[in-house]
Amino acid sequence: MTIDATMVGRSYTAAETYQVGREKIREFAAAIGDTNPAYAGDDAVAPPTFAFVLSAPALDLLLADPELGLRLDRIVHGAQKFNYVRPIKAGDAVGATATITTVRKAGDVEVIMYETVLTSGDGEQLATSTATVTHNRADA
Amino acid sequence: MTSVEVGTELPALTVTFRREDLVRYAGASGDFNPIHWSDRMAAALGLPGVIAHGMLTMASAARVVTDWLDDPADLVEYGVRFTKPIVVPDDDKGATVTFSAKVDKVADGHAEIDITALAGEEKVLGRARAVVRVR
Repeated sequence: MTIDATMVGRSYTAAETYQVGREKIREFAAAIGDTNPAYAGDDAVAPPTFAFVLSAPALDLLLADPELGLRLDRIVHGAQKFNYVRPIKAGDAVGATATITTVRKAGDVEVIMYETVLTSGDGEQLATSTATVTHNRADA
Repeated sequence: MTSVEVGTELPALTVTFRREDLVRYAGASGDFNPIHWSDRMAAALGLPGVIAHGMLTMASAARVVTDWLDDPADLVEYGVRFTKPIVVPDDDKGATVTFSAKVDKVADGHAEIDITALAGEEKVLGRARAVVRVR
């Protein structure tokens, strides 16, 4: 099958929470070249765009839905937005639920918007990630 | 952050992305989309070459704002459009992007900041905007 507008509203919740570790924050900060001291040490907070990493387990479920027929290697990221409630910290256990919010089709190209809500273990909302991706079904 | 005025320019930041930076970001982020490491797979999708992760570009652009803030937790909203892919050649030179930012609006305890990302003369991000808490 292929994705279409009737699939708007489908939600995908990561089976397990993401355990945020101090060393993962350190590795991520190093990979983006960011030496901000807030991202180091025992009380490290994660850089803002780390929220996308936390949304990935829910995105993986969306990509794996056989009814949507999507392939990672045909996807290009078009736009991204984050709304932050509080920073993600080392020690947080973060849950992610992704919901398809828009599907637009133009020939072989599908423009998909999905929103991922990140929550702490006790249900506190931490951040919302809104992504727009372009999926190209055409054979190159 | 105190006494922020419309028109305030934040210190600019120039970043060079090389293939090794993309590999490192792929590992740290878990984004192993082959368009960020395989010329063959990038070409199959019609791209001019291996391109930088949009999220790496976005992370670098955020540094202009968070470097300027006393506390990165004062960033409350941040969005970009990926308007132009950054092709990263397999050489030592890589691709260089310069990020700059300017305060566009201050109201109700928040400042809205427009970010510009230029690779040469080309804008690689569109509508890049951060909202930060000001006191």
